Amino acid sequence: MTDTHTKPASSQGTQGPFEPTLVAFVCNWCTYAGADLAGTSRLKYAANIRIIKLPCTGRIDPLLVLKAFESGADGVLVSGCHPGDCHYTSGNFHARRRWAIFHRLLELTGIDSSRLHFSWVSAAEGQKFADLVNDVVAKVRQAGPFDAVNPARRRS
Amino acid sequence: MSLIEAIRADGAKLLQEGEVKMVLGYRSRYDRRLPLLITQADQVSALVYDDDCWQNLPTYLRKGEVRSAMPVAIVCRPEGIRSLLVLASEAQIAADAVRVLAIVGNEYRGVLDLAAAAALIKDLPPAPVAPDVAAKLDELAAMPANDRAAFWRDALAPCTRCYACRASCPVCYCQNCVVERNTPQIVSTTAAPHGNFAWNIVRAFHQAGRCTLCGACQAACPQNLPLMLLNAWIERQVREEFAFVSGSGLNEPPFIGSWSPNDDDKFIR
Repeated sequence: MTDTHTKPASSQGTQGPFEPTLVAFVCNWCTYAGADLAGTSRLKYAANIRIIKLPCTGRIDPLLVLKAFESGADGVLVSGCHPGDCHYTSGNFHARRRWAIFHRLLELTGIDSSRLHFSWVSAAEGQKFADLVNDVVAKVRQAGPFDAVNPARRRS
Repeated sequence: MSLIEAIRADGAKLLQEGEVKMVLGYRSRYDRRLPLLITQADQVSALVYDDDCWQNLPTYLRKGEVRSAMPVAIVCRPEGIRSLLVLASEAQIAADAVRVLAIVGNEYRGVLDLAAAAALIKDLPPAPVAPDVAAKLDELAAMPANDRAAFWRDALAPCTRCYACRASCPVCYCQNCVVERNTPQIVSTTAAPHGNFAWNIVRAFHQAGRCTLCGACQAACPQNLPLMLLNAWIERQVREEFAFVSGSGLNEPPFIGSWSPNDDDKFIR
């Protein structure tokens, strides 16, 4: 494995203004398709986001979110199907209950709602996805670089 | 008859009558209280009980020497009874394989089966969070996020990853703990800040809706990490947002693993 815990120089503030790095964990059936629609509709959105596609939000283990912060993400977006739309019937309901506790736990440890975002984006909501990414990136940019204070960050 | 005499008498009776094959209680060794596994009625005089008995004995139900001696009678406080109910609802123990020698406060409540023990704690309020823990949580919640992050970085840095917290916890029973999985390895096993953070957060998170605030993990921690802050914080969220209290009945659906269409989604856009 190379450079899994280093970041591009541009996001470390060594050159130019701070550009946040975000990781998005999205489900295959709704949000990824929504992102795809944003792309095929030629919608422009902030390029700070790295999308990781998983089968379902039910598969988005909170550990993956921790891992993203450990690897130096300034923010994380988790997104999937609207309630009732899950391809596997109830994956997003299971996920929602886990997130409800997990985001409050991370809030206690200093990773608050300016850095950890959750949303429902359907396959038809290309515009919502583009707007969402722009908004999330703006919020994380406002929160500033996370490396120096990130309690989960790998430093060795 | 004093509390411990009553426990000894009931333990001896259960063993003599063949109701149980083992009694699980506490013994004294110098200033320490250790678990005691008794299989003969004439050994009950070694049983003790006092405020230093901090271990939560249902933890020992996963040990082979105990599992092979079911049914067992087990000395439990209300937190221990809640732990038993969590274990039973997660199919880790058979409800008819345990008898509870129930202690509430300084009072012995006799030999109960699990259903009777569940009825007993139904009338009791959930274990109160220690005032210093509650005060620290309020203090943390009022801090700026970066200060909270700094607090946890420092607080978890001394962790040596001995996993005494896991070993002492009655509901941390996975044979293959997530921290030991290495294909892929998600939690670093090195005693470095990032791995310490991931481990302690994940350990606490996996107890959501299961932790009974017995305090064994923090008491077992050789580095005195403030683990009860994490546990009590999660317990508070689970109770306030979902009106769920860990181990409040027999065969309750698990908190994580069940869901409702009305669950909180204020935080989701």
